[in-house]
Amino acid sequence: MIGRRNLGVGVRTLLAALLVILAGFPLYWILNTAITPSNTLYGGGQKIFPDLSRSAHLFSVLVTDNSFLRWIGNSVVVALGTTVAGLLLATLAAYALSRYRFVGKGIMGFGFFATQMLPEALLVVPLYSLFASLGMLNQLYGLVLANTAFAMPVATFILKAAMDSIPYEMEESARVDGCGALSILQIMVVPLIAPSMAAAAVIAFFDGWNEYLFATTFITDEHKWTASTGLASFIGEFLIPLDSVFSGAFLFTLPAVVFFLIMQRRIVSGLTAGSVKG
Amino acid sequence: MSVPQTVPTSRKPRTPLAPYLFIGAAVIYLAVFAGVPILKGFQLSLTDTQLINPNGGSPVGLDNYAALVGSEVFLRSVVTTIVYAFCTVAGSLLIGTVSAVVLNRAFPGRLLARAVIVMPWAVPTVAVVLVFRWIFNNDNGVANAAFSALGIGAQGWLTDPRYGMLSILIATVWKVSPFVMLVVLAALQAVPDELYEAARVDGADMYSTFKSVVLPHLMPTLRIVGLLMTIWSFRRFEIIWLLTGGGPADVTNTIVINVYQQAFGNSQLGFGAAIGVLGLLLSLAVTLVYFVLETRTERKNRVAV
Amino acid sequence: MPTITFNGVSKSFGANTVIKEFNAEVPDKDFLVLLGPSGCGKSTMLRMIAGLTEITAGELRFDDTVVNDLSPKRRNIAFVFQSYALYPHMKVRSNIAFPLVMDNFRWWHHIPIVGGLARRAILKRADVAEKVDAVAAMLELTDYLDRRPKALSGGQRQRVALARSLIRDPAVYLLDEPLSNLDAKLRSQMRAAISALHARVRKTFVYVTHDQVEAMTMGTRIIVLNDGVVQQYGTPKEIYDRPANTFVATFIGSPPMNVFLAEAGADGLRVGDHVLPGSRDAAERVISRGSAMIRLGVRAEKIAIHPGDATGENLIEARVAVVEHLGAETIVGFALEGTEGVNVVGAASTSGLFYARLTGEVPLSVNDPCRVGFALDAVTWFDHASGRRVEL
Repeated sequence: MIGRRNLGVGVRTLLAALLVILAGFPLYWILNTAITPSNTLYGGGQKIFPDLSRSAHLFSVLVTDNSFLRWIGNSVVVALGTTVAGLLLATLAAYALSRYRFVGKGIMGFGFFATQMLPEALLVVPLYSLFASLGMLNQLYGLVLANTAFAMPVATFILKAAMDSIPYEMEESARVDGCGALSILQIMVVPLIAPSMAAAAVIAFFDGWNEYLFATTFITDEHKWTASTGLASFIGEFLIPLDSVFSGAFLFTLPAVVFFLIMQRRIVSGLTAGSVKG
Repeated sequence: MSVPQTVPTSRKPRTPLAPYLFIGAAVIYLAVFAGVPILKGFQLSLTDTQLINPNGGSPVGLDNYAALVGSEVFLRSVVTTIVYAFCTVAGSLLIGTVSAVVLNRAFPGRLLARAVIVMPWAVPTVAVVLVFRWIFNNDNGVANAAFSALGIGAQGWLTDPRYGMLSILIATVWKVSPFVMLVVLAALQAVPDELYEAARVDGADMYSTFKSVVLPHLMPTLRIVGLLMTIWSFRRFEIIWLLTGGGPADVTNTIVINVYQQAFGNSQLGFGAAIGVLGLLLSLAVTLVYFVLETRTERKNRVAV
Repeated sequence: MPTITFNGVSKSFGANTVIKEFNAEVPDKDFLVLLGPSGCGKSTMLRMIAGLTEITAGELRFDDTVVNDLSPKRRNIAFVFQSYALYPHMKVRSNIAFPLVMDNFRWWHHIPIVGGLARRAILKRADVAEKVDAVAAMLELTDYLDRRPKALSGGQRQRVALARSLIRDPAVYLLDEPLSNLDAKLRSQMRAAISALHARVRKTFVYVTHDQVEAMTMGTRIIVLNDGVVQQYGTPKEIYDRPANTFVATFIGSPPMNVFLAEAGADGLRVGDHVLPGSRDAAERVISRGSAMIRLGVRAEKIAIHPGDATGENLIEARVAVVEHLGAETIVGFALEGTEGVNVVGAASTSGLFYARLTGEVPLSVNDPCRVGFALDAVTWFDHASGRRVEL
């Protein structure tokens, strides 16, 4: 019995090691490529364990490429816009879905879920013609508007799941104390679900941050590219040194990974709760 | 301290209007930025609209659809989509579940392992594409370096039609498995310890404990994750588009890639929209089948209990 | 400060009626207890007074004002919830002061950050701080003002909830089973504290409970509810001494009132096989009502028990089933010989037992034969069919 348990731990550790290598290798390879000199990369001389003295090259793109910083700036604008618009709409919608019974609630709930099915590649065609007629091509706020439609329903699921766990009596007490519905939402509900608000904000922010299809279709002006469009433009491009490209990829990835790691639990609970009930 | 003496004309304290005010903004927003485009897409699909003049184009009835039904390219893209979705779902469910089971029990370094295994989910698609293109690079990629060292020889991962699909599957499964892992892990942690203990008292070995105790507990979660993975696979665009662009030789030309190709590559907005509408119908059908099966299982379980 | 008037108030959820037409008038400054078993509609009633639940039909008036459509805030009430409903993200001070903060709420407080700063400023105002300190001192919460509710004990949370209700000096205090989450010892302390509070603030209290001890000790008036129907409305003494029907009789009192079924005959009232001696007059009066059957309600303390070999007037043979020694008194449960099950209602119907409350030690043990008796002038009479109290 004892032997089998030890074996269990052994097998488990071994499997875990394998999974860690599989999951971690491409990430490690981004770092590795970013600090290996470009001519070594193309000479087939990339080592599994690179020369760590070039570690500063992780940040080389900040020096070698002026446009990268501008693209990151655009990405921040788009991501922040998506977060603010998405969270504002999602908080109000989640409160209605969590606290009220009303005609059409089922249909609306399904509508929110249905956005998970919509292919952006289909939407991008009519949105393009819509934005073209409104003069919203090449505008960052146009990207915000398009991204919010996808980020907001997910945020709504997360927030609704959190709101469902707040006892009704607390809100009734607030009503007796003189709160209107909007005050209850602002003063009671939002502070209580702050951790989930943060999780939803992370989801919405990186929805805007990572998005590529709308960005590449609606924004043709290179000055207004987001980092995802900018980095994608390096694909098949040989003028920019590859280590700089990967330095950009690393800097682009880092914030997303850090924030997701911090928030993963709440994001998952919201996503599953939302979609199960959706 | 006295109560107000005037009675307001019968105003209900909680108007039924309130929920609509709260949800209204979001619903209108979705209607404008998802509902209208869908309808517009449907309308476009009935026209011969060109990219150069997105608001022009004349109605052509069901011509686009008629052309699609007979088009071998389209039919192949449907098959490609289904193959891609099936393999992605199966692969990510398998790897995700195995990861979750491994991470569910204590072993040295579990926290670190968990953090690393979760990471791919957070990596922006463009960065995923950059690194996988480099790994799969024909001349200098680490994949071919390893295969050469093993004596198998270099392969054209992204250029050889035999390996195109495999390559995008590897990249996709790598990116989405952590999501499955997180959700399944959450479900595993909800399995009461007594169940494991009871199984151990009954003398069940590890495999039969998993099969008879853990798996039934996981099934509802696996089903919903499976649905999400399926509909997400149908609409997944960026990773395929940027890795292979639908090639080599159209082996990764899924429906959504086809839509984009037609609309923005061949400038045929109307024709592209028609493909997209059919793709959306496929997603809807899958979701419908899922909900029908789900209610049936639920009913069966209720009878069993 | 209002007299609360219920004018045919009723409540239904869909087709399900939870409160049937209810009429009553509660004088100002009363301590009204809504008493009943769980699910009887008492909480719904309280929530209708508060404005948290809509009234389906009828009129609720505070003095002359119909308040049916007034928001909870405009009814000038305070509500203490069973779960206390403290705001977990606010410190005790902010919790207590919250009603005052909301009194000073302006529309522009909806603006994020600005509103938060404005609320903080209100909290720091001298008049607000003074009130909070006074109320906190009264409820011995001064040392806890800077804690969050999570860091308080059950009793302290309860006092914070009370403090929050006191701060605005409302006209009506509504309390929904506020003591049910406390342990027995704390509960009796808080009973006294709330009674003292009522005496001090001299406002109308409406208090919901399923605990008859709370009702009897705290209430100046009690409404007994069952199945959404008011069974009786009166002072604790009236309800105890003159229960309106067998439900009230068996719900109030511990042990509950004994209710015997009797049949009037030519030789007197017959309970089971036993004719109650000296009951011939009573029997005639029963028959003159038109039915031979009658129920006799007798409080446990009005029943005398003698050993089985005792002789005397007015004694019925019985057998001891339960003896509970409580120290100063003893509760004896007994069954009448040869009459199992046929003549019992209320709580006794499930156990088939009747109870006597005797002072001091009693030389009886389980299964002893015994003889029980009671004076006919201690009996409350109930109609056999309707269960309502009748005068003979």
